[in-house]
Amino acid sequence: MLVPLRYNLRSLFVRASATLLTVCAIGATVAVLAGMLSLQQGFAVLFQERGRDDLAVFLRKGATSEGESGLTREQCEILAKEVPEIARTTDGQPLASAELFLAVRLRKFDGGETNVAIRGVQPASFAIHGDDLRIVAGENIRPGQDELIVGQGLLGRIADCRVGDTLRINTVTFRIVGTFTGKGGYQSEIWGDLERLAAALQRPVRSRVLAKVAPGTDLAAVQERYTADLRVQPRVESEREYLASQTGDLSQRFTLLGGFLALIMGIGAVFTGTNSMLGTIGARTHEIGILKAIGYRPFAIFAAFLLEAVLLGLLGGAAGCLLVLPFQGAETGTMNQTFSEVTFAFRTTLPVLVEAIGFAGLLGLVGGLLPAWRAARMTPTQALRRG
Amino acid sequence: MASAITIQSVTKTYTRGGESLRVLDELDLTMDGGTFYALMGPSGSGKTTLLNLVGGLDQADSGSVRIGDVDLGELSSSELAGWRAANVGFVFQGFNLLPVLTARENVELPLLLAPLSRAQRRAQAERVLELVGLKDRMDHKPRELSGGQEQRVAIARAIATDPQVLLADEPTGDLDRTTADSVLDLLQRLNRELQKTILMVTHDPQAASYSDKVIHLDKGKLGRIDDNRAASGGRK
Repeated sequence: MLVPLRYNLRSLFVRASATLLTVCAIGATVAVLAGMLSLQQGFAVLFQERGRDDLAVFLRKGATSEGESGLTREQCEILAKEVPEIARTTDGQPLASAELFLAVRLRKFDGGETNVAIRGVQPASFAIHGDDLRIVAGENIRPGQDELIVGQGLLGRIADCRVGDTLRINTVTFRIVGTFTGKGGYQSEIWGDLERLAAALQRPVRSRVLAKVAPGTDLAAVQERYTADLRVQPRVESEREYLASQTGDLSQRFTLLGGFLALIMGIGAVFTGTNSMLGTIGARTHEIGILKAIGYRPFAIFAAFLLEAVLLGLLGGAAGCLLVLPFQGAETGTMNQTFSEVTFAFRTTLPVLVEAIGFAGLLGLVGGLLPAWRAARMTPTQALRRG
Repeated sequence: MASAITIQSVTKTYTRGGESLRVLDELDLTMDGGTFYALMGPSGSGKTTLLNLVGGLDQADSGSVRIGDVDLGELSSSELAGWRAANVGFVFQGFNLLPVLTARENVELPLLLAPLSRAQRRAQAERVLELVGLKDRMDHKPRELSGGQEQRVAIARAIATDPQVLLADEPTGDLDRTTADSVLDLLQRLNRELQKTILMVTHDPQAASYSDKVIHLDKGKLGRIDDNRAASGGRK
């Protein structure tokens, strides 16, 4: 039979200062882990939730991102006109858009420069994205004009990006005519007319072709069909798959960094937990003696103090999560895989909280093992005498 | 029939500061079941050590300690814990209640080790608290009770599982005379009415006078046994 839980629970509050100290140490560790996991979630969701299965991304064979890809104007036209899976408008035009993608250095509001993604698009891009993309201020760009629209995510971070501002790209001055909002990473981009941006950036090649396809289209079969075609050998995948592959590396880096920091801080927290529990057991040696005299077996004593340590850990976990929760939705930015600034929100999801609290419980468990074992090994007379 | 306590050739040695100290030396002693014993002797005579051995809190280096048919030397530490839970109740000088639990919860502690339902535990805890005159204080924590009340709760906890043997180590050492007398009255009543075998360590002759017999230990050996029932001075 185990020692009643209320004994351990109330004891935690009796030694409030020691409990608070340990809760703070574990809480800080958990806050770091939960914070990194929230960033990772925010980054992953930013791209993945926007990815659509009914959009196909055509890149150069062997390219893993738009930044590495290059398709000639002719190759883009072949794909748009010849791939039968690409949807068409009522007047028979393919819903496909060649796009140019490049990162340019722009000034940040808080000083310094950063890479910002510039995307040259064709009118079909807007039809392809449909309601996912909306102009929220000013107006849309016009074909053939030196005009740009700016993703809303960049407004607070990049200078000279408001409607009416001008932006110089190489020798060409572009006018900001609007601000747009959209799902995911597009929010952190600047869009302009494909031909005008290609001319300004002196880039004859396009980065990709984005096309609308029927849901469930076998894109692997499309890619396979062009394997032996000497004119164009594209890499084809759905937008969802493409974006997932783009976030994989950085997402993994967030997880690794969070894990590393949590490990280092966790070791410190375990020592704090162990120290606190040793102090607890030192202060309650007499009580251990009483419990043993009454007839509680060594295992019950071990379980009671281990459970108390886990409770301490869980309290720390809850404190850590409370520290992180106010940052929910806060935006930050980083370089993504294409070396351009991307803005994303802090997302403390339920799985993040569960993971963080589980980690805290584990810290408590590890920290409590030695003290609990020591308490269980005391003989009743030793414990009663020491008290 | 209450269990008799048989001590045969028991030796117990402690090592302190590198020096070996024989606290009990080939002690032989038999105590009848249902009798109230006081255990007296100078400091270091082995009173508390004997109490610990009889209560299964410690084990003898040699010899045997039997309670009824059970030889405590043959039990493992875990088995001893189980045996204690069912067969013996302790009352200590310092009351030894868990400060974070109420009087009733303290009394329920040993009952949690018995196969009882929650309702049965609660009823039994209330019954024994009523027996020691503290039913109206059962939801109070130890710090909210007087010393005498704390010791009564400790006695209630000791008898909660209805053990045949009660072991008390200076139970009135921290109490004033009046309160001490009321606690000793209670112990005597438990012996008389419930036939508990009681072994009480004390330095106080007045406390010892409540017992049926007084065992005198000296340097780990049995000195003499006085029978209060035969003498006219024993309070009954």
